[in-house]
Amino acid sequence: MATTACFMIVSKNDIPIYEAEVGTAIKKDETAYQHQFVLHAALDIVQDQAWTTSAMFLKGIDRFNDSVVWVHVTAEIHTRLMLLHDSRNDDGIKSFFQEVHELYLKTLLNPLYLPGTRITSSHFDTKVRALARKYL
Amino acid sequence: MVDPANSTLGKMLLDEITPVVMVIRTSLVEEISQRNGLSFNELLSPFCVFNNIDVPVRTASDQPYRLRKFKLRLFNASDIRQPNIEVANERIRQVITRAGEKDFPDVSAETVPIETVLSTSTTKLLSSWFLFFNKELVRTVSFSEHEAFDHPVACLLAVSSKDDDPINKFVDLFNSDQLPPLFNDGAMDPNILKHFVLVHDNQDGTAERATKILAEMKATFGASNCRLLCINSSEDGSVQHLENPWASFKNDGSSDQQLGRFLSMDDMDELKNAMHDLSSKHIIPYMEQKVRVLNQQVSATRRGFRNQIKNLWWRKGKEDVPDNPNGPTYTFSSMESQIRVLGDYAFMLRDYELALSNYKLLSTDYKLDKAWKHLAGAQEMIGLTHFMLDLSSKDAEYWMEHAFATYSKLGSSGHRNATRCGLWWVEMLKATDQFKEAANVYFRISGEELLHSAVMLEQASYCYLFSSPPLLRKYGFHLVLSGDLYKKCDQIKHAIRTYRSALSVFRGTTWNHIKDHVHFHIGKWYAFLGMFDVAITHMLEILACGHQSKATQELFLRDFFQIVQKTGKTFEVLKLQLPVINISSLRVFFEDHRTYGSDTAVSVKESFWQSLEEDMIPSYSSMKTNWLDSHGKNLTQKYKDSSVCVAGEVIKVDVEFTNPLQIPISVSGVSLICEHSGRSDGTNSDSNSSTSKIELVKLGVDGNLNGDTSSFVLSEVDLLLSGGETILAQLTVVPKVEGTLEIVGVRWKLSGSVSGFCKFDPDLFKKKAAGGKRKSKKSLSNRMKFLVIKSVPKLEATMHHLPESLYAGNLRRLALELRNSSNTPVKNLKMKVSHPRFLSIGDQEVMKTEFPGCLERRGNFAQGHASAKTNKASDNVFLFPEDTVISGESPFLWPVYLRAAVPGNISLYTIIYYEVGDTSSVIRYRLLRMHYNVEVLPSLDVSFQISPRPSRLQEFLVRMDIINKTSSEKFQFHQLSSVGNEWEISLVQPMDTIFPSDFLVAGEALSCYFKLKSCRKRASPEGDVSCKVPLEKSNIRLGHDKSEELYDISRSPLVDFHHCERANQGISKQEHLTEVDFILISRSQSDGKAGLELLSHHACHCSVASSSPIWWLMESPKTIRHDFGLSFCEIKLKMTIHNASDSIASIHFKTFDSTANTNSSTAGASSVSAANEAGWHDTSLQNDIKLTSDAPGNRVAKPLSPVCVSPFIWSASSSTRVKLEPLSSIQIPLQICVFSPGTHDISNYTLHWDLDGPTESSGTCQGQSYYISVLQQD
Repeated sequence: MATTACFMIVSKNDIPIYEAEVGTAIKKDETAYQHQFVLHAALDIVQDQAWTTSAMFLKGIDRFNDSVVWVHVTAEIHTRLMLLHDSRNDDGIKSFFQEVHELYLKTLLNPLYLPGTRITSSHFDTKVRALARKYL
Repeated sequence: MVDPANSTLGKMLLDEITPVVMVIRTSLVEEISQRNGLSFNELLSPFCVFNNIDVPVRTASDQPYRLRKFKLRLFNASDIRQPNIEVANERIRQVITRAGEKDFPDVSAETVPIETVLSTSTTKLLSSWFLFFNKELVRTVSFSEHEAFDHPVACLLAVSSKDDDPINKFVDLFNSDQLPPLFNDGAMDPNILKHFVLVHDNQDGTAERATKILAEMKATFGASNCRLLCINSSEDGSVQHLENPWASFKNDGSSDQQLGRFLSMDDMDELKNAMHDLSSKHIIPYMEQKVRVLNQQVSATRRGFRNQIKNLWWRKGKEDVPDNPNGPTYTFSSMESQIRVLGDYAFMLRDYELALSNYKLLSTDYKLDKAWKHLAGAQEMIGLTHFMLDLSSKDAEYWMEHAFATYSKLGSSGHRNATRCGLWWVEMLKATDQFKEAANVYFRISGEELLHSAVMLEQASYCYLFSSPPLLRKYGFHLVLSGDLYKKCDQIKHAIRTYRSALSVFRGTTWNHIKDHVHFHIGKWYAFLGMFDVAITHMLEILACGHQSKATQELFLRDFFQIVQKTGKTFEVLKLQLPVINISSLRVFFEDHRTYGSDTAVSVKESFWQSLEEDMIPSYSSMKTNWLDSHGKNLTQKYKDSSVCVAGEVIKVDVEFTNPLQIPISVSGVSLICEHSGRSDGTNSDSNSSTSKIELVKLGVDGNLNGDTSSFVLSEVDLLLSGGETILAQLTVVPKVEGTLEIVGVRWKLSGSVSGFCKFDPDLFKKKAAGGKRKSKKSLSNRMKFLVIKSVPKLEATMHHLPESLYAGNLRRLALELRNSSNTPVKNLKMKVSHPRFLSIGDQEVMKTEFPGCLERRGNFAQGHASAKTNKASDNVFLFPEDTVISGESPFLWPVYLRAAVPGNISLYTIIYYEVGDTSSVIRYRLLRMHYNVEVLPSLDVSFQISPRPSRLQEFLVRMDIINKTSSEKFQFHQLSSVGNEWEISLVQPMDTIFPSDFLVAGEALSCYFKLKSCRKRASPEGDVSCKVPLEKSNIRLGHDKSEELYDISRSPLVDFHHCERANQGISKQEHLTEVDFILISRSQSDGKAGLELLSHHACHCSVASSSPIWWLMESPKTIRHDFGLSFCEIKLKMTIHNASDSIASIHFKTFDSTANTNSSTAGASSVSAANEAGWHDTSLQNDIKLTSDAPGNRVAKPLSPVCVSPFIWSASSSTRVKLEPLSSIQIPLQICVFSPGTHDISNYTLHWDLDGPTESSGTCQGQSYYISVLQQD
């Protein structure tokens, strides 16, 4: 498992709807905003690349120092699953994205969830963290 | 694509890669030029740039070409060395600092929206000080031994005409040890072109001496190499240069006017000519020649296949040489250096093709030699020549990348060169619009030196901005990165500038950590610079940082308050985010004609109150005419527009404050901001209703002053909100003067130092005013607006002795105290109670008597009955006596009875209506709404069971089951009464024997039996159907103390409550006469309380019999002895039939023998034995004993044998018809013949009855069980 990893789901208009620090490193206050900065900046690249391929998994599209930003876009392109990760584990990350995407779709099916709003479900959170432990 | 020479990089190269002239001068020469405020170098520099020198050049090829632009770089001999890194850094630092001062954004300026940033031209952002910075950075790596273009091409020796022995001076100058290290360590050929200049100051006298020396010089050094330079011709030193040529060469920015003030136009021309001659006649030809010579040399030794093989083989042989970490050193005479010089000279003379071929040759050599730095230099030049030749940009970039990589491989020593290479590379990319790649290169350049990295990152961010499509987020991110580094280098102004630019990207972002980071740092840095106002505006953005960790929250708040403290004043902030005000929770409570007794009364739905008030208030139309008559239409309009409140009465506003943080915050001085205007300008105030921010703040400040002076009084609340807490604060305003009052907002003070204001924007919330329906029609803007009318009396009510909880059945007397604090009297009081079952309004007289003593029966019991109903206007509205007028301070007391009818939480609503004596007021009447909550605990569970006594007609056996359901209370029984004077009640056994303990403790159950006798008699002559039973007989004392008086159940509260109970316990399906109501009066004796509490339990509609109006009774001896050996036994029976109805009944008595059967005696005995069982209370079983027509055959037990002959037969008439008058009885004789001994159930008969009269009805009754035991006589 990676020492630093930050997972985010960004919806339309670049609004983050879910974020989780899933790394094993001791959580520091500085890292939280750094991760946000890196992921936010990577959105520029996503915007470029999302339309060039039909694949959902965009691989590592951006890097900052040692960390690589991995992105998985959903079918409607607007929602992006982004992972900041500091080790190269292609397959693990791919499976992680697939399963989280599935979870996200289940969340969308919830009639009480308004798409584009923050995902507050604790169940979702625990699942994502479990998946992170499993794959990353 | 633009012409490479005109691109930024092209210009830069033409500027930087030009021949260097080493200047060596005596101190006197320097002195002469210093008179103009310039050094000698600076004096000459402007004249070394030639935009159209137009010199024919012929290098390797035979075809000459013309050189247009040319430039010489002049350096003092002492400067021709690798610059000191510290010095260079210091200079760069100064450049940056100066730029920081200059570019520091105006505080008042709003940050530019990103669209504007995008539209600003590339040049504006990039041509600023970055170019200058980049140039300085490139200069830090000049004069390296591995590249030849910085090596001096010529040497300019200058001696003043005043110097002693100038000829020797010239010789000394060049031979001294001051020559640059390049010459000494062998990297350069010391035998270079020399040019001798004699400088003459015209003010020191005529040029005679100078010409003499010149002649001498020419003789010594050769005629062409010498020159006389006469300057400072102007005598008064007041020459003004319109276009000051030195401005761009002077770094320190001293005033332009002073520069060159002794230089006349002639001097300028002379300078120009001198430099032109130097370059065109000496330097360029010299370079041409050198290129040609070297080229021949190189061609001879290196070009051609044979030479290449030789070269390779030769280099292979060198491989065993131990690796020098810096690579091999090359002296000026080595082949490689020569090639390099050839390439560089060719480059400087714009023969790029020649240069390129040489560089390529060189790069292979260096590669084989593993001379990495030299290799990188060569690669770099290949890239540049590619660019200048306008060949494929891919190739140029490829070589630049290689050069960069090679430099980087060298580690720290190559870092600066890598930076320079990178900068050129970036420019190359920019020239082809590859901004994204350029940004990447900038990012790669940034490295060890923090300050440089900061500038590089900032430039990278601009590249992102200009790339297409613009990568705004990258732009913001890199600005922040760069700002961070600026901060680390103490370039705070730059840091602020970058962060502020980044704000244009991050404005309004939902990425909260980013937002917090940017605002927090800008705020902190501004504070560092002492600009606290701006600092605070940024800090305010991060106060509501609930998503941050606790430590961060503390940090944010601490810094914020520190800044606030430093300003030394309290800040006023319009939209302070701390604490969060929940606008939707805003509730306004005010009283117009509706007034409230308590806060809980306010929260009750308006519609509920209105439904209660329906029959109390005068009808709307009549009301309207009333006050329309007295006032004009003008007032109507106002009255409709805004809510009405009364001067001197409180308007309450509930506001919810939430602390989003995990750390506690203190909020003090929370109060409302109100605007009051006199009645006259009430209409005008609407025009400027849109209060601007500043006005609001002003209002807030003024509010303090206004508060006590005049028109209204505000309350202040202090709160301490712990982490995540939400507190509802109730704020009040009391208007003092008539007019209009508008509640504008709320203000508070955070931690005693920052004042926050919040305007109640009418669009933001839905006022949940007590106004209810009527308010909803009003426009939003008027919701917080009140019309203040002059003060009107207001009643205040208190319910004395109202307990919070009591036991079911508890009966108490309360006192309602009404108080009118004004002097205007109120009258026509009415009162209504929502639950008459719980609350009953008493008579005023009883106030004086004692409770419950007043209930005790004294002689005149008839009086209470009559007076109870007098004051009831309609069902529930109680009218106070006409003459009741309440005014002044004197309280008005009225008794009210409370009886806890059922267990549970009960809300009691009470409304008092009163009219205002003063008829001139807008409000004619007011309502006082009161609401009380009472918790009723279960106490005694009482149930009654009535069964007819088999032996007596019109007598019943009553079983009373009581359970104490409390957990600790003890109860003492006082009396049991039957209501209605129609029933006599008496104990079966004395109380002492069945219930010796006198107290029923918690959880205990008790059953006891009473005899009940109907006293209804045949109509008396007066037509009074019911006859009175003496009170002693309808009530029985249950208490052990015989001296206690019985209570009169026909007295006011008891009888009233009983009526309500009757109504509540269901309307009887049966006729009244077959029912009986019981009231059990008991007392509780709790350990804590001194007095005894009175409890009354009402059991209504207890049915005494079946639905049949006919009662009958069999009579005969119970046991008969008979000798069946002699004959069968004849038994005479007597049946008494009673018509209990009010009409004539015809009764048909019928017997039949077939179903008769003999029972073992168990059936009869069971009913008796079961009844004796004490303490059981399963009442449902008892129903079986009751004889009901709808359950025939219940009595029938299993027959002994199917073939059995009936043991007895009816021997008299089998059918009898009788007519019975109302309430009369008749006796019918009957006879049976019994054939065998045993116990016989005589129930095989039916009674059919028909009632005449108004309600005709009929029915059939099965015979009752009646047992006769016949024994065999011995």
